[in-house]
Amino acid sequence: MNFEPDDEQRQILEAVTSLLGQHAGPARAKELAPAAGYDHALDAALSDAGFDAVMEPSERAGALEAILIVEAIAGAAGVTAFAAGAVVAPAVAGERLPGPVALGTGIARAPVRYGAHAKSLLWLDGDEARRCPLAPGDVSPVPSNFGYPLGRISPGAMAAGTSLGAGSGALLHRWWRLALAAEAVGTMEAALGHTTAYLKERRQFGRPIASFQAVQHRLAECAIGIEGSRWLVREAAHQWAPEEATACAAAHALSTARQVFREVHQLSGAIGFTRDHDLHAWSMRLHALGAELSGVGGHRRALAAARWGVG
Amino acid sequence: MEFDWSEDDLGHRAEFRAFLADFLPDDWDEISAHGPGSDAQAAFSRTFCRALAERGWLTQHWPRAYGGRDAPPWRHSIIGEECWAVGEPRGPQYMNVNWIGPAIMRFGTDEQRTQHLPPISRGEVLWCQGFSEPEAGSDLVALRTSARREGDDYVIDGSKIWTSYANHADFVILLVRTDPASDRHRGISVLLVPMETPGIEVREIPSVVGERYFHEVFFSGVRVPTSVRLGPEHEGWSVVTYALQYERVGAARYARAALTLDRLAEHARERGLLEDPLVINRLAEARALCEAARMLTYRVIDQRAHDLPPSTDTQIARVANTRADARVGELAVEILGADALESGSFADANFRLAMTAGVAVGATEVQLNLIAARHLGLPRA
Repeated sequence: MNFEPDDEQRQILEAVTSLLGQHAGPARAKELAPAAGYDHALDAALSDAGFDAVMEPSERAGALEAILIVEAIAGAAGVTAFAAGAVVAPAVAGERLPGPVALGTGIARAPVRYGAHAKSLLWLDGDEARRCPLAPGDVSPVPSNFGYPLGRISPGAMAAGTSLGAGSGALLHRWWRLALAAEAVGTMEAALGHTTAYLKERRQFGRPIASFQAVQHRLAECAIGIEGSRWLVREAAHQWAPEEATACAAAHALSTARQVFREVHQLSGAIGFTRDHDLHAWSMRLHALGAELSGVGGHRRALAAARWGVG
Repeated sequence: MEFDWSEDDLGHRAEFRAFLADFLPDDWDEISAHGPGSDAQAAFSRTFCRALAERGWLTQHWPRAYGGRDAPPWRHSIIGEECWAVGEPRGPQYMNVNWIGPAIMRFGTDEQRTQHLPPISRGEVLWCQGFSEPEAGSDLVALRTSARREGDDYVIDGSKIWTSYANHADFVILLVRTDPASDRHRGISVLLVPMETPGIEVREIPSVVGERYFHEVFFSGVRVPTSVRLGPEHEGWSVVTYALQYERVGAARYARAALTLDRLAEHARERGLLEDPLVINRLAEARALCEAARMLTYRVIDQRAHDLPPSTDTQIARVANTRADARVGELAVEILGADALESGSFADANFRLAMTAGVAVGATEVQLNLIAARHLGLPRA
């Protein structure tokens, strides 16, 4: 048991933070957003640095380190399917797939994150996961205000996929939940950080808004939810994504995400809704993350099933 | 960063669980339902802690010089988790080993260490904490109980309130104002006072929480030698701050809440309530709160294991524990319905134990103030 990063983890965190400082951030996300673009340059930089190969599924190693990178990328509002490509796909398919990788549930016509740019799809077909190579004609963009480029995958391409065998559906659920929760943690932390910085500057009634206790307690409650989510995610990653721990992490993180969204927007006031202000680069994403795998209710059902054999 | 228990720790937990299963009497649930201040539980705690001490488990995280085994803080946290989960058979003595002993180690004279630490590590002594006063609750530094210096003695006058275990305690760790001209944080001292000293009167405050849960303690001309002072005169606030860092996560509330929740899920199954998606949703939400509180508490233990200075992670863990405990307590009443209302029932006992969490050891609102100021760096309200 050790909550402090070891030397290797510290190096990874420092290196990825430095890389993201150069290649990502809300300004970059806003630059790509109008055309629903994908950050291939960021993907290339992450790959050149070897971050997409941190996880080694054959040795059940590197999941925690990969998840730390996912958290950091989300915090920098990176427009990359790194979590699906470097964490979920290797764990579920046993190898890295041509990227970007999109994840789907098989619900007819439901848009998926990064779908319009994806070269591979992993999707839940009942109890099995399927992997599908995608050609440009298989995908179509879906406009959205929720912070990610979305796309629809053609039913033909999905049907043409290869099953990964019995039990692969559960495996996909577990790793998807873990990655999702890690993205939520990084995103929430950045949204809260941006909001607190703004509220320390913004003055009303002759004092900074952040000096009002009614405001402070709500921000503190958000911080408690985020910190709890962070350690649940990291523990689940270290344990190689067990069913109960991943469902628990996702349930807590995505439930906290709804609270954080409500609070950061309410407390930021009207400026928080504008495209000039950076908050939306993180905040809107929280609801996109909250829509995956049947959302908080889905994660809680999965948790109850794993814990108490319900359902 | 890694989150595995060592083989040794796993073995220690298994051994301790087996000991608990063997040592706790058949009617333990009944005994613990009345709360840690009850006569039955206080009496049992003396037997239980002596048994722990004989096995070297009561104060294993203490240095050998003071009756410990130099075990890492994790070892002690395992005992804390297992004990709190079943209703804290250590009774009030969990405070002794968690923070009163460590405070005496850090701030005490050799004489005080020799006097107090061996009985604590043998499980032979009960303490209570004399902090809150009628006019100094959340605002603890408003305290007014005075200790006037007369030669080599202090003469204590004033009163303390909400004092748990005062009815059974052999000693009180008492906060007093030694400098009458002072206010707020300055001029406070900590005294280690035998409860049998003439001039101390204990009155029970009947409450809905549990048997003999709260007391008022009156001090009228109580004379003690100045040698009972812990730490420098007038600078007791730093002693208290140190002690409270330990106390706030001393009780493994998440462990009790998680165990209660598992039992509630069984009750819900027996009543056919597990078919109800809303019940499933609530159970899972509460489970996630317990697990988050567990990890946040571990975070604080880990900081202690690394000898890092206390941080607001302590407050974060405290509030998370409070939330988890409260949610499970509510759910107990919700799932068991009218059966929860019977005094001493499973739901009743857990609900009452949980209901004080947000108030004890510093109100949640005070914790949130500290998180806002120190964790988020927000300006003073």
